[in-house]
Amino acid sequence: MLARSAQGLYWMGRYLERAEFLCRLLRLQTEALVDRPIREIHFGWTRIYNGINRQPSGGSLEPMGSDDFTLADSYTLADDLTFERLNPSSVRSCFVMGRENARQMRHCISGELWTCINLAHLKIQKLTIQDIWAASPESFYAETAAEMNTFSGVAAATMYRDEGWRFMQLGRFIERAQLSTSLFLSQLAAAAQLSEHSDADWTSLLRLYHAFDAYNHSYSVEVHPDKVLDLLATDPLLPDSLCRSLDRTVSDIASIGPGPNAKVSGAAQRLAGRTAALIHYEWPDREDRAELLQRVREYCQELHQLVTATYFDYSVDDLPSR
Amino acid sequence: MNLDAYQIDPSIYDEMFLQDGTPREHCRPLYEGLSRLSAEELSSIQERVTRSFSNEGISFTVYGDEEGEERIIPVDCLPRVLTAAEWRLLERGLAQRVKTLNLFLQDVYNEARILDDGVIPVDVVRECPKYRMEMRGFSAPHGTWVGICGTDLIRTNDGFRVLEDNLQVPSGVSYMLANRKAVKTSLRRLYRSSHVQEVENYGRLLLTTLLELAPGGRSEPCIALLTPGVYNSAFYEHIFLARELGAELVEGRDLLVNNGFVYMRTTTGLRRVDVIYRRVDDDYLDPLVFRPDSLLGVPGLLHAYKLGNVVLVNAPGTGVADDKSVYAYVPAMIRYYLGEEAVLPNVETYLCRHPPDLEYTLDNLASLVVKRVGESGGYGMIIGPHATQKERDEYAVQLRANPADFISQPVLALSRSPCLIDDNFEPRHVDLRPFVLHGQETRMVPGAFCRVALRRGSLVVNSSQGGGGKDLWVLRD
Repeated sequence: MLARSAQGLYWMGRYLERAEFLCRLLRLQTEALVDRPIREIHFGWTRIYNGINRQPSGGSLEPMGSDDFTLADSYTLADDLTFERLNPSSVRSCFVMGRENARQMRHCISGELWTCINLAHLKIQKLTIQDIWAASPESFYAETAAEMNTFSGVAAATMYRDEGWRFMQLGRFIERAQLSTSLFLSQLAAAAQLSEHSDADWTSLLRLYHAFDAYNHSYSVEVHPDKVLDLLATDPLLPDSLCRSLDRTVSDIASIGPGPNAKVSGAAQRLAGRTAALIHYEWPDREDRAELLQRVREYCQELHQLVTATYFDYSVDDLPSR
Repeated sequence: MNLDAYQIDPSIYDEMFLQDGTPREHCRPLYEGLSRLSAEELSSIQERVTRSFSNEGISFTVYGDEEGEERIIPVDCLPRVLTAAEWRLLERGLAQRVKTLNLFLQDVYNEARILDDGVIPVDVVRECPKYRMEMRGFSAPHGTWVGICGTDLIRTNDGFRVLEDNLQVPSGVSYMLANRKAVKTSLRRLYRSSHVQEVENYGRLLLTTLLELAPGGRSEPCIALLTPGVYNSAFYEHIFLARELGAELVEGRDLLVNNGFVYMRTTTGLRRVDVIYRRVDDDYLDPLVFRPDSLLGVPGLLHAYKLGNVVLVNAPGTGVADDKSVYAYVPAMIRYYLGEEAVLPNVETYLCRHPPDLEYTLDNLASLVVKRVGESGGYGMIIGPHATQKERDEYAVQLRANPADFISQPVLALSRSPCLIDDNFEPRHVDLRPFVLHGQETRMVPGAFCRVALRRGSLVVNSSQGGGGKDLWVLRD
C-alpha cells in the first residue's frame, strides 16, 4: 500500500490508543477524588504526569494538605490532561490527531469505523471541563474509554485484514507497550519516594489493566508490588499485558514483511523479537525491574524509528521498481 | 403538510408545479406523499438528512477560512424530480457535447482546422490562459482529453440550457451520491414507490472508464487519484472516489518519475502507476513544465504522459475548452465537427473582447451577469440587477481596462424547486451538474449534483457562496 497511507494508519492507531489509555487513567483518578486520601490522589497525579513525561501547565503535583486545594488542583490537572489544546498529550489532542489521520485515510478504513470515530469526535469537540466536572467526571472518562474500545471492536468486525489493518494494529501495540513501560517506571519511581507502601497505589494499577480479579485468582488478596508487576508484564492471558503487546508487534511486523530496502530488511523484525524476549526470558530472573523496563522503553522507541525508516521514509535510491 | 402557501411565479419555471399551481404529473406522487407528512415529520426528516452528513463528515473547505476548517455542505431533503424522457434529452445533449469538446481539443492542439476555417477566432483560443502550448502536437490516448466532464445545466421556461462545462477537475459527484444515500433512507416509502433510477454504480463506471484509458500491455493497470491534499475544498470527494475506485489516494510527494515512468512509494518499494485520475489543476501538475513553485505536482509527469507511459485524466490543457469565452463557440463546434445542431443550447453570451459586445455590456450592466473568464466557483462575477450602482460602476472600470477578461450573459430566471426552509415549503433556484464519463465509449448515471441557492432570491448556487445540494430523482419510464 501507499507508504503515506500506511503511516497515517499507524499514527491513527497510536493516537487513539494513547487517548484511550489516558481516559482509563483519568477515570481511576477521578474516582479516587470521591473517597481516597489526599496522599493517594497525589500519588495518582504524579504517576500519570511522569508516565506521559509531562509537567502540568497549571495546578500542582505537590500535596497541599487540604481537600479544597486538592480538588481545585485536580480540576486544573484534569483539564490539562483532557481538554487542553496546547497539550499534545491531552485526550482531546490525541483524539483530534487520531481522527485527522482517520479522515485523511478514510478510504483505507471501513465506513463503520470512520463514522464511529467521527461521532465521538463531534461529541468531545463540544465539551469542556466544566461540562464533565459538575456531575460525574468518571462517567465521562468511562464512556469515552468505552467508545474507544468500540473503535477496536468495530475495526475488528469490519476491516479487511490487509496491510492497512496491520499498520494500524502495529501502531496501537507499539504505543501500548511504550505507555505501559512508562507507567510502570513512573509507578516504581513514585513508590520509591514514599516512606510507606500503600496497597491502594497498586490495586489501582491492577484495576487500570482490568487485572484485579486475575490477580486475586493467580496470587491472593494480599498485594505484593512485585507480583502485580509480574502479572501486568508477563501474563499472556491478560489483554493489555506488556508481553501481549510486544508479541503483537512481533506478529504484525512479520505479517507486514521485510520492507523494500535490503540493507535494513528484517531489522525491525529482529528488534521486535529481542524486545519481546526481554519480557519473556529475562524478566523472571531479574531483580532490577526498573532497569529492564528502561531497556524495553528504549527498544520501543528504536522500534518506532526503524518502522518509520523501513516502511515510510525509506530512501528511493538504488531501489528496484516494479 | 400543506403546500398551498407555496408561491409560484409564472415567469420562473417551477420544477414541481405548473403555472396554475397544480403539481406536474410526474411530481404528483411526491406532492401527495409530502402532503401526507406532518410538519414535525418533515422537520425530523430534514434533521436526519443533515445529521447524516455531519455524522459521516461529508464536508468541504472554504478558501480564506481558518486553515482547513471543515464545513458540512447544507442539504435540502426534498428531491427534485425529472422524467425519464427529460433525462434522455440531457443524456443525448451531453454525450454530443463531450464528444465535440474532445474533437475540439484534439484539433486545437494539432492541425487547428477549426481556427483555419474561421469558426472560432484564433485570438480567442491562443490568448486563452488555459491554452497550453506544451500540449501542441500531442494526441490524447483514444482521442480522450476529457474523460470526466461535469456540465452545469439550468432550466428556464424555454427549456434546458448549458451554463458551463467543467473539464479540468470537475467536482461534486460525491455529493450526488451522498445526497441520494441520505435522502432515500429518510424518505423510504416515497422513494420506493417513486421508481427512481439508481446512481450507485457511478464508481464502477468510473473505474471501467479509467481502465479503458490505461496504457496498452499492462495486465493489471495501477490507478491512483492525485489530490492536492487535505486542505483542498474537495478533499472529501477525493477520499470518497479513491474508495469507490479501490485506488490509492496520492499526493505529489508520493510520486516520482524515473526513466519516463511514474512510480508511487509503497510500503514494499516503488510501484509503477498507469492511470492518474488527477484532481490537481494544470498549473500545479508538473513544476518542470507549469508553475515551478508548485509543491503539489510531480516533476517530469508531463514527460511521462507524453511518452504514453502514464495516462492523465483529464489531460492537461483541457481548460481551453471550458474557458468562458470559448464556451460561446460550442454550438458552432458541434455544427463544425458533427454536422448537428446542439441538443442543449448555450446561454446567450457576449464576449467583451469584441468592442460591440463590450459596449452592449456596459450599456446594460444593470440587467446582465458579467463573469471573469478565468474564475469559477461564483467568484469574480457581478449580477447586475442584484448589485448597487457603485458596485456596477467599479466593475465597469475593470471591464474597460481588460475587456478580454470578461463575458456577459442575460440574467436568466433559473428554475426553482420547493425546499424546506424553516419548516416551510419555499421556492429556491436550482441548477444541476450531471457527470459524463468518456473512455472508449460514453457513460452516464441517471443523476446529478443538484445545487440550490439557499438564500432567498439568490441565483448563486456554489457551495462556497451559501449554496447547498439536493437529491435529483430521475424516474423510470
